[in-house]
Amino acid sequence: MERAVPHAVPLGQMEVFQALQRLHMTIFSQSVSPCGKFLAAGNNYGQIAIFSLSAALSSEAKEESKKPVVTFQAHDGPVYSMVSTDRHLLSAGDGEVKAWLWAEILKKGCKELWRRQPPYRTSLEVPEINALLLVPKENSLILAGGDCQLHTMDLETGAFTRALRGHTDYIHCLALRERSPEVLSGGEDGAVRLWDLRTAKEVQTIEVYKHEECSRPHNGRWIGCLATDSDWMVCGGGPALTLWHLRSSTPTTIFPMRAPQKHVTFYQDLILSAGQGRCVNQWQLSGELKAQVPGSSPGLLSLSLNQQPAAPECKVLTAAGNSCRVDVFTNLGYRAFSLSF
Amino acid sequence: MSSESSKKRKPKVIRSDGAPAEGKRNRSDTEQEGKYYSEEAEVDLRDPGRDYELYKYTCQELQRLMAEIQDLKSRGGKDVAVEIEDRRIQSCVHFMTLKKLNRLAHIRLKKGRDQTHEAKQKVDAYHLQLQNLLYEVMHLQKEITKCLEFKSKHEEIDLVSLEEFYKEAPPDISKAEVTMGDPHQQTLARLDWELEQRKRLAEKYRECLSNKEKILKEIEVKKEYLSSLQPRLNSIMQASLPVQEYLFMPFDQAHKQYETARHLPPPLYVLFVQATAYGQACDKTLSVAIEGSVDEAKALFKPPEDSQDDESDSDAEEEQTTKRRRPTLGVQLDDKRKEMLKRHPLSVMLDLKCKDDSVLHLTFYYLMNLNIMTVKAKVTTATELITPISAGDLLSPDSVLSCLYPGDHGKKTPNPANQYQFDKVGILTLRDYVLDLGHPYLWVQKLGGLHFPKEQPQHTVIADHSLSASHMETTMKLLKTRVQSRLALHKQFASLEHGIVPVTSDCQCLFPAKVVSRLVKWVTIAHEDYMELHFTKDIVEAGLAEDTNLYYMALVERGTAKLQAAVVLNPGYSSIPPIFQLCLNWKGEKTNSNDDNIRAMESEVNVCYKELCGPRPSHQLLTNQLQRLCVLLDVYLETDSHDDSVEGPKEFPQEKMCLRLFRGPSRMKPFKYNHPQGFFSHR
Repeated sequence: MERAVPHAVPLGQMEVFQALQRLHMTIFSQSVSPCGKFLAAGNNYGQIAIFSLSAALSSEAKEESKKPVVTFQAHDGPVYSMVSTDRHLLSAGDGEVKAWLWAEILKKGCKELWRRQPPYRTSLEVPEINALLLVPKENSLILAGGDCQLHTMDLETGAFTRALRGHTDYIHCLALRERSPEVLSGGEDGAVRLWDLRTAKEVQTIEVYKHEECSRPHNGRWIGCLATDSDWMVCGGGPALTLWHLRSSTPTTIFPMRAPQKHVTFYQDLILSAGQGRCVNQWQLSGELKAQVPGSSPGLLSLSLNQQPAAPECKVLTAAGNSCRVDVFTNLGYRAFSLSF
Repeated sequence: MSSESSKKRKPKVIRSDGAPAEGKRNRSDTEQEGKYYSEEAEVDLRDPGRDYELYKYTCQELQRLMAEIQDLKSRGGKDVAVEIEDRRIQSCVHFMTLKKLNRLAHIRLKKGRDQTHEAKQKVDAYHLQLQNLLYEVMHLQKEITKCLEFKSKHEEIDLVSLEEFYKEAPPDISKAEVTMGDPHQQTLARLDWELEQRKRLAEKYRECLSNKEKILKEIEVKKEYLSSLQPRLNSIMQASLPVQEYLFMPFDQAHKQYETARHLPPPLYVLFVQATAYGQACDKTLSVAIEGSVDEAKALFKPPEDSQDDESDSDAEEEQTTKRRRPTLGVQLDDKRKEMLKRHPLSVMLDLKCKDDSVLHLTFYYLMNLNIMTVKAKVTTATELITPISAGDLLSPDSVLSCLYPGDHGKKTPNPANQYQFDKVGILTLRDYVLDLGHPYLWVQKLGGLHFPKEQPQHTVIADHSLSASHMETTMKLLKTRVQSRLALHKQFASLEHGIVPVTSDCQCLFPAKVVSRLVKWVTIAHEDYMELHFTKDIVEAGLAEDTNLYYMALVERGTAKLQAAVVLNPGYSSIPPIFQLCLNWKGEKTNSNDDNIRAMESEVNVCYKELCGPRPSHQLLTNQLQRLCVLLDVYLETDSHDDSVEGPKEFPQEKMCLRLFRGPSRMKPFKYNHPQGFFSHR
């Protein structure tokens, strides 16, 4: 653990406050730059930090390489999700989505390119945006969050084209099924809903908590994470992490993980998941646990795989969650080092 | 040899050749005196050339005769023998001739040698004479030069120059007409004048000395007069004291203080001057006084011989008795330590009066051998304070001033040179003596104008007024804030121990009207115990739990739920906020490592503390944090999502008004209270 214990420095007011901030920081979202060399991380104070992966992974990396190249205040509230297009970084948190140019983002005093707020129904409280999804074929962005709707926004014009309603409680996560094209959304109400983008209608609903094999009532019914691989879908959260066959809506494999999972993704022939508890879990499709690799945060909220073709030397898995650190795994077997805010 | 032999044979030859009728053999010596044949005389007469011819002729004859003999012998015959005999006799004669010639040659040679020898001797004699004469000449020359170089004493005297001499000397000494021409006379005259002048000056000198004596005597008299004046002036001053008091002008008192201040060591003096100046100029609540014995201070600088002279006898006796009982090594070391840690007998006392009539008494001491200053503090309040159990350390003299500036814990000596001194007498650290001597805080050194650059022991550190002045105002303000915040905490702790969180009326808006969770316990815990708790590891690793901090444990309860809160109180409260770490026991144990909402609650209290500061000087921070903790526990318990599988109603029905129960990927509870609408929302 490379946590330094600064006993020798007398702590004045500023140092104590900064130390407390770092202790209570949560990193909610990550996104890799189109060139593959930089990683953006967004935290609960609304700050975005850009780390240089190529500098941190190079052989001359020093302690400063594990610090952000630049940190700026992006939003007033927490930055719950981020995605990258081939030129922009889109970040969303408290109710609005902002775009930043990757080419400009390393300069100090960078301003957002544009910001948009979807049309909300309620006016008392601004709902948060929990998930962003890019639909490359349509060049549009889907936002979902606190107001229980999925909004689609055209990236060229910035106009909000559709609002898909159906969830009864706020939406946690989104996933894209390329072939159809369909969008899957999972929410607090415990249901995974599939939407057809062309017709803007709900085509399928899976109420996970109603299936006895996977439901865990003491955790709740909320769906925290979703991932899909054309015919298959894996979801988890309050109920156990389960692999579903979409066409038949049946759970095929239940992964024996007690802690609720907050992020899940398909990777090659494995499923990677992370959630409450320190570890990144690697599962075989058959339901066997292949490996559990501990990270440095007591709970993980987001995983990011850098698969950009432009930077094969930066092909790493990064995990972040309930701390100010982003764990970097160069090889899925162990944690190489941690970047830190 | 041959000449000797010829000499010995000489008398025989002489007798045989020339001796007429004498046949007696006499000693050769005596005969030589009388009539004798001198071959030497003969040598003179003969011509060496002719002798040489004769020699050649004789040799030839000999050769011829030998040849004839040879012939005859080889021929043989009767009359040969006669012929041979004849010739033999002739050869013998020739041999005789040769011998004579040989003698003559030898004699000639001897003569020649003798003559040479004589001549040489003569030459040698002359040579010696020459040398003697030369030596004498040299000697005489040296003498002459010596005489010429002789300097008479009179030339060492620095005489006045010629012109001056002629100008100044009276005519009977200078005798110009005589001296001008004759340098000898001139010099004599000048010497004369010199003597005259010196006599006159000696006179003058004696006169001046006597003058000086006279004047000294006069001065003495006047001094006595003045000193007799002093007691009279004093009595006048004494008489004027009541008048001064009557008119509220304590000049005398201030004057006395300045008098004693003169005996203060330099750092204390700087402190005294700066503090008095600050008190007069900016802050009327500051009062400065000097305590201690002035006589002892004076005694420090008195040379030791004075006291010894008076009591030399008794001293000698005492020395003898103490020498018999040799002190043990430990006692010696102890004495050395005491000597090293000795304090100057005078100390400066500062009294800071705060708004609520409580006073902070600071006594500053100066450790002479270590060249540092220390302070002892005491807080007195207008009314008697009943100390609650948990507030024991708040106002204790040991810790009330700890960390006034960050990191200034006052347990180590600030002077790096002291470490070497400590090693000599076996003192490990000043910490052991701090209770007795006072704390050597860094700000105390700065107020005394002492500056110790890190890592560079200096030999003499001079007390600097400007350093003291630049720190005076900040330090005084900090001291006042410290005392007031400690007193406020004192009062609050008294209330907390009874389970009441004292929230002032102007802070009520931060909390909802109804708060059900109650504070049940409030105790101090030790630093080591805090480090042992399992839910405080993050704080410890971040370096925020140092041994200068104060640690407390609070227990908040509602129904079956028990919330433990470990509190770190930094001495710099309230500018540095207290830090809370929570552990909830309800349906299992939840801490910040396994429950995101507990983490959010800690964040609400630790990170968002600025909202809870209340009106300046923000003494309400701790109590507001505790109240908020109770509110947060209420929200947590009431918004707990109901587990459908478990039978029975919820333990805590929701009474708080919340817009949404969960938000965001971590499903946070609504912890933020909105005033005056009174509902809870998310940050």
